[in-house]
Amino acid sequence: MLKWYEQIAPDNDVVISSRVRLARNLETFPFSSKIDEEQASALVSEVKQIAVALSEKENRRYYACNISTLSEIDKIAMVERHIVSPLLAEKEQTTGLILADDETVSIMINEEDHVRIQAIVGGMNLEQAYEEADRIDDIANEKLHFAYDEKYGYLTACPTNAGTGMRASCMMFLPALTSARMIQKLIEEVGKYGVTVRGIYGEGTKSLGSIYQISNQKTMGISESEIIENLKRIVFQVVKQERKRREYMLSVNTDEIEDQVFRSYGVLRYARQVSSEDAMNLLSQIKFGADCGLIKFDREFNVHKLMMGVQPGSLQWTLGKNVGSLTRDQARAEYIRKELPTII
Amino acid sequence: MLCDRCLKRDAKILYTEIINGVKKEQHLCEECATDYTSFQMEKPIMNSDLTLGDLLSTLLDNYAASEQKKPGEVTPSLTCNSCGTTYEEFVQKGRFGCARCYRSFHEQLGKTLKSIQGAENHTGKRPKGFMTITSDRKLKDIPEAEKLSLRLLEAIEKEEFEEAARLRDLIKQMKKEEESNA
Repeated sequence: MLKWYEQIAPDNDVVISSRVRLARNLETFPFSSKIDEEQASALVSEVKQIAVALSEKENRRYYACNISTLSEIDKIAMVERHIVSPLLAEKEQTTGLILADDETVSIMINEEDHVRIQAIVGGMNLEQAYEEADRIDDIANEKLHFAYDEKYGYLTACPTNAGTGMRASCMMFLPALTSARMIQKLIEEVGKYGVTVRGIYGEGTKSLGSIYQISNQKTMGISESEIIENLKRIVFQVVKQERKRREYMLSVNTDEIEDQVFRSYGVLRYARQVSSEDAMNLLSQIKFGADCGLIKFDREFNVHKLMMGVQPGSLQWTLGKNVGSLTRDQARAEYIRKELPTII
Repeated sequence: MLCDRCLKRDAKILYTEIINGVKKEQHLCEECATDYTSFQMEKPIMNSDLTLGDLLSTLLDNYAASEQKKPGEVTPSLTCNSCGTTYEEFVQKGRFGCARCYRSFHEQLGKTLKSIQGAENHTGKRPKGFMTITSDRKLKDIPEAEKLSLRLLEAIEKEEFEEAARLRDLIKQMKKEEESNA
């Protein structure tokens, strides 16, 4: 089965992926700030059992594991692939994960909330992401009975998530707006509509390769479909702005941009050592060139897959061992050389 | 020079450790350095600082301060009887201790939520079967009129509009009767 980042998706010149996360808690356990190790371990085993029900009802297989038993590399690689959050990977208490075989759905156990259901799909497709998450939520609720209150809705550890417990987000590729230094303005602008812009890996992270996350802020007093509609409208505006800016950039500096795109390709094609930050920036140039039709390849090529593959954790995971930064830079260069398609 | 730890690979990193004033130097290879020290040249994404949490507690704190009553007057501290979290603790951390905290801090919570979320009532999804479970539980000990309005909500939820209309009329009639009795 193809993973979300291997499929061709709508509007993926600007929107890399759409994601919906639902925060849920069980009535029977204290929240993360009060839960002790014994309860955490009981919580993880209880929630992990729904993997069986999910596999029965769904058209894909679900696997469950304890995150705390995984190696450091596995954890970092999972964070890089957006399967788990940095918080879950760092936690010392027993934590768990249920993951669908196509990586579309992942359920984090004992993160900030007891259960965090997450669905990712490629491109601009928030509705599908919500449908997936909503369906999983219904199946899980049959077994787990999530804490819910008539007035406050789904009860979450942090009051910023209470109500729907839902965060919808789009991962955006904004090279033209970035180079025009318009991101700060964008952040201020969309903030007025209850929407936030963050770095590639969410809260408190910086942006790499002109990739940003746009997500809803409010979770109460607004329904799930309203959240999606609201976010969609804003994302489409950003897409429009980015495309307009790209057109403008191309019309005034075609030669320079073309040179940059091919130069980036050349470096990645022949370099023997590449740092992850370099790799992200160069790949971002290539994606930009490919989206604008400046550069063409002999086969279908998903730059985002490569962008995840060059991250330190994923790279070491592929290598099967922990290596130092110099070896990593060499392995990264080799990995890119192997994955990069030929220009036609 | 070989690595001091594994004694196999070439040492490339000089790792200096000072613990309680005692300085210790080790020559390490990159593998051992990643394993035994914080040496990770590229680990940009794992430093999840909890800036939002801090921000939130400041917000909640300001709110609690503005609510303070006259000096000398003691406000009884709210404590969740299920997990023992106090309202102050919640304000400080910006996190609830358990699902029951919401009910325990009920009085203060409306304003707090309004300041963070701009609303204090959930309008989205309900878990399947939620209405029936709670209304059954509640039906035993609530007044007849409220019982009916709960049923009315449930009927609207299920899009049983004929039943809803019947219930609405029933409620109206009851109210009228009450008024005339009074």
